[in-house]
Parts: sequence; C-alpha cells; structure tokens
Amino acid sequence: MTSTTSKAAAAPAALNDETILSVRDLRTHFYTRDGVVRAVDGVTFDLARGETLCIVGESGCGKSVTALSILGLIPPKAGKIVGGSIRFDGTELTTESESTMRRIRGNRISMIFQEPMTSLNPVLTVGEQISESLRIHQRLDRRAAWDRAIEMLALVRIADPKRRAGEYPHQLSGGMRQRVMIAMALACNPQVLVADEPTTALDVTIQAQILNLMLELKDRLGTAIILITHDLGVVAETAQRVIVMYAGRMVEEAPVAELLSHPKHPYTRGLIGSIPRRKPGAPRGRTRGRLQEISGLVPSLREAIPGCAFAPRCGFATARCTTEQPPFEAHGPRHYAACWEVARVEAKSLSEPVGSEA
Amino acid sequence: MTAYILRRLLATIPVMIVVALFVFFLLHLTPGDPAAVIAGDDATPAEIEGVRRKLGLDRPVWEQFGVYVMNLLRGDLGTSIFSNMPVMTLVMQRLEPTLVLAIATLTVAVAFAIPMGVVAAWKADTSVDRVVMGFSVLGFAVPVFLVGYILIYIFSIQLRWLPVQGYRPLSGGIEGTLRSITLPAFALGMTYMALIARITRASMLEVLSEDYIRTARAKGVATPSVLLRHALKNAAIPIVTVIGIGFALLISGVVITETVFNIPGLGRLTVDAILKRDYPIIQGLIILFAGAKVLVNLLIDISYTFFDPRIRQ
Repeated sequence: MTSTTSKAAAAPAALNDETILSVRDLRTHFYTRDGVVRAVDGVTFDLARGETLCIVGESGCGKSVTALSILGLIPPKAGKIVGGSIRFDGTELTTESESTMRRIRGNRISMIFQEPMTSLNPVLTVGEQISESLRIHQRLDRRAAWDRAIEMLALVRIADPKRRAGEYPHQLSGGMRQRVMIAMALACNPQVLVADEPTTALDVTIQAQILNLMLELKDRLGTAIILITHDLGVVAETAQRVIVMYAGRMVEEAPVAELLSHPKHPYTRGLIGSIPRRKPGAPRGRTRGRLQEISGLVPSLREAIPGCAFAPRCGFATARCTTEQPPFEAHGPRHYAACWEVARVEAKSLSEPVGSEA
Repeated sequence: MTAYILRRLLATIPVMIVVALFVFFLLHLTPGDPAAVIAGDDATPAEIEGVRRKLGLDRPVWEQFGVYVMNLLRGDLGTSIFSNMPVMTLVMQRLEPTLVLAIATLTVAVAFAIPMGVVAAWKADTSVDRVVMGFSVLGFAVPVFLVGYILIYIFSIQLRWLPVQGYRPLSGGIEGTLRSITLPAFALGMTYMALIARITRASMLEVLSEDYIRTARAKGVATPSVLLRHALKNAAIPIVTVIGIGFALLISGVVITETVFNIPGLGRLTVDAILKRDYPIIQGLIILFAGAKVLVNLLIDISYTFFDPRIRQ
C-alpha cells in the first residue's frame, strides 16, 4: 500500500498505442508586474483514447492554464510554457509551429469554455460559427459546411436545427449556447476534447443534461475528454480517473471510485468533506452536521514554495512539510499522491476535518 | 429593423426644425437692425428701407418664419444680397468640388486608418504599435494647412507628381479630378485618419480580450480571420460612430483645405459670404451643412444594424 515508486518511473514516457496525450512535467509561467506566477508547476499525466479524465481543484490552481497550454493558447505576451513536454499522438506540441498548432486546434483537439454567454461571437450566426471549423479543417465548401453544421446541431439535440443555425447567440438560452459550443468542438470529430468547467455557468437542471450529452457523444465518437471542474459531484458522475491539483501542482491522482472512497491527500479529503451530503437514513433536508471547509487561502504563486504548497492550511502538516516538497508517488495501484503524511491521513476517518486548527 | 430605421428617420425631423429656427433667428439675433446690417455701413436710410422691403423684414416675425419654412420646403434657400442669384444656384455651382473632396477624404482616412488601428491593436505594445500611435498624435497636433503646404512642397514642387493647386471638374475626366483632389484629401484626411486609427485600436483591443476571440483561436482560425471576421465586426460600432462625429470636423476642415488648395467649393463660398455678410448664403449653408450631418448620422445609425444583430430586434 505504501510502496514509494515515483510516478516518472512507474509510468515511463514510452507510450503505448492507447495513450493519445502525454503530458510530462509541464511548467507554465506568467510574467506580471509583481513577478513570475508559476501557474502550472510540474504537471504529468497520460490520457488514453476515449478516456474521461477529470482535473479538480479550487480556482487559481492551474487547471485552466494546463488546458490552455495543451492547445498552445497561452497568450504569448502574458506567459509561456517554460518546461516539460506535451506529446499528442506522436507529435511534441510544445515546440510545434503556430501553423501546425492551428491545424490541430478545433480539429484533433477541441476545447469547450466555461462561459457560454461570452464564448460565442455575438455578430456571427451559430451556423456560421460551427461551419467555420469545418471549412478550415475539412475544406468543406460553404454549402456542405452549413449542412454539416445543421447535422451537428441536431446531434446536440437542438430542436429545429435548420432555423437555429441562422440565429445569433443572443437568441439562444445558456444551455443551448453550451450545446452549440459542444457542436462546434465536436464538428471535426476530435481525438481529445478539453472541457473547462463546461457546466459551471449553467442552471443545475441544465448541468446534468449537458454532462450526459457530452458523455454520450464521447462514447459515440470515441473522443477522450479532459474535464476540468471544481465540482466533485460532476467528477463522481463523469470521470474514470481524477487528478487533483493545488497551487499549480498535482497532489493526487487515482481512479474515481478509489479517489472518492480512499483519498490519500489532506486537500482531497478537504474537497470531499466540503460536498453537502445526506447521512444515510437521515431525514430529508438533514445533512450530517456542519459542512467542512478548508480554512485559509490558496497561496500566492509568485514565490517558489519550498515544501508542500498545502502545508499552511493542512492539519497534518509537520516541520518537514514546509521545507521539503513531497514526491508524487504511488500509494496503491494507479493511486498517486504527493504527501509526506499519507499514513497518518489514512488512519483518520473521512468525516474528520482536515484544516489546521489555528 | 424597419421600425428601427423609421424611428431614426423620425428623430431627424425635430433636429432639422431646431436648425431652421436657429438659422432664421440668426439674422434677428445679430445686434442692430438686420436691414441696416445687410445694407452695409454706408447705406442711406432709403437703401436700408429698400433692403427691408425686399427681404420682407417689414412684416411680422411669425409671418416671416412661415414664409421662410415654406420656401425651405420648396428648396428655396433665398437670394444672395450681392450677386442677386438664388442661394440654391450658388450652392449647386460649388457643390461638386466639396462633395468630391469630402468623399475622397473619407475614403483615404478610412482606408488607411482602419488597417493601421487593427495592426496596432494586434501588435499592441510593440514598436509597430508605437509608430502608428505616434503618427496618430502627430495627425492631431499638426494643423491642416501645414500638412497641406508640406504635401504641396514634397509632391508638387519637388517631385512634380501632382498639381499644386486648383480643381479639375469631373466633366473633364476622372483622372484629372483624382489628381487634383489627392493632396487636399490627404491633408484634410490626416486628423480624421488619426482619430479613426486611435478609436479602431482601442475598440479592437477591447474586443481581442473577449472570450469569443479565444474560442475562435481554439477552433484553429488563422490570425487574419480572427482579426477581421471575428474581431473587427464586433469593434465596428465605436469606429463608425467616430467616423460620423468626425464628419463635423470635416466640414470645418473643408474651408481651410479649399483655401490652401484654391478649390472653388462650398468652403470658399462660406468664407466669402461671411466676409461680405451675405446673410442668405450663410443661412443656406448652415442649413445645408446641418442637413448633411444629420443625414450622415442617420446612415451611421442604420449601419449599426448591419454590424450588430442585437440592434435589429
């Protein structure tokens, strides 16, 4: 249970055919007036064809920056990938030219963004916006691309797709706009779909519909999905494997059931503890007491953090935690965590709070 | 959409009524007896009385106004005091050079300013951006007549590419007209260009930080198409608005430009009329310029519907 093989050794860079995307020690930094922000500071994972991988964490932990790094969309004036590698189907993306990246984006790797309200262009019809990718990547003519766009709208279950294709985003509801985003992202049948908080801005009732639609289309088209979210409820419903990020680093990785039932990292425990849940057998509306919160704030990423980034907020922290960075190593089959105190964490029951009692 | 255009169209009516009122009372607001003012300093009382009767100034004010408005609606802008010609005829004689100058200026300014602004926004905070913005500051700071003289010195006197002064009417062939109007259009267009380039840059910068631009890039859209298809159309409304506002600038600029380049247009007619205190001509020109400005703004309002589908509703 506590064999300490480091992850790099356990999962060597030699890819098997099943791996479509392989990220190794990715580091993306932003340059601000106040100094360098280490938004992503050593992220490593593989994505299998057709797999659903969730990346979880609070805002500002580097989830979205990881996604943008994969697509090569880090604004060049603000920041850049300073280290590591991203291999996609045999191609190294970090050193690839802009024109090659352009042929990959929207074609073989697509992205869905959080805000359906602002992510669609208000002055172009949704049909134009969907057919644009088809005209760029599949060189369809206007007519054929438009017909295919209507098919895509039907695929994402928008009623009356012929009429809707000619409408502008402001004429559609939030849920419909996110369906349009999905149609746009899947139009060219990509191998990888990166969805950055695709349901966060939607009504709860719509959220499940959109998630189910994504999963259904994924199965139908064989797309691998990287789903970025801060919502463990979404994770539980969709993911096969989960990565938990904190302050630009990975703190835990495991298959979804294993992660939710046996979290090894105090931060993961904190996230699980903050989900509202009914006690089994308790009357309706009654949760098991007060929701647990993780006290303290995400640290500033402007200074290099010598030890574990979560240490200042962690109830298990020791002196070593603040000086030495814990390695990301295996603590079980396909279960990795970066924590010096896994044994002590595991000894405590899941319902106990993880915050430091300061 | 039709309702929107109709609303805009109706909104121009009160504006034109106010302009007509103002222009009519212009004469009555000048200090002293309007008839005496018009007749000039050396006029005898009999001459002043003659002017009064001729202009109908002896009748009650409301009646004068009624006659004035009726005449306006028939396209009668009055009669020049000095040449005794209908103001409308004088205006029509001078209209072509000014219209050609205005259109050429607008074309030159927009054709240069929008690409400049787009590139400056795309390359924001680089040397390209600074060159464009430096040029834009210069365009504001240097007066039209100075630009005019510099252009004449370089392109007409030194290089001998273009005529120094004067205007060739369209009836003598379009090439001659274009050659005679090129330098004036650039001289007058400089300020205008600076203004449009600046607002294009600002508006584009704002749009380029929008989420849908990131979406376009994530779709694999190439930069030129991101800038023009996705960004510029969204940035268009402030740009066309400034083009409309700049039209007022153009009218005052026309007077100076026509003087520098010796073009017999409405600007020169205005200056001459003011110097001679030929009130009917001045009044007619104010109505005309105001009407042109209202018309341009109407066109701009209507153009919004082309750029933004949300206004069509």
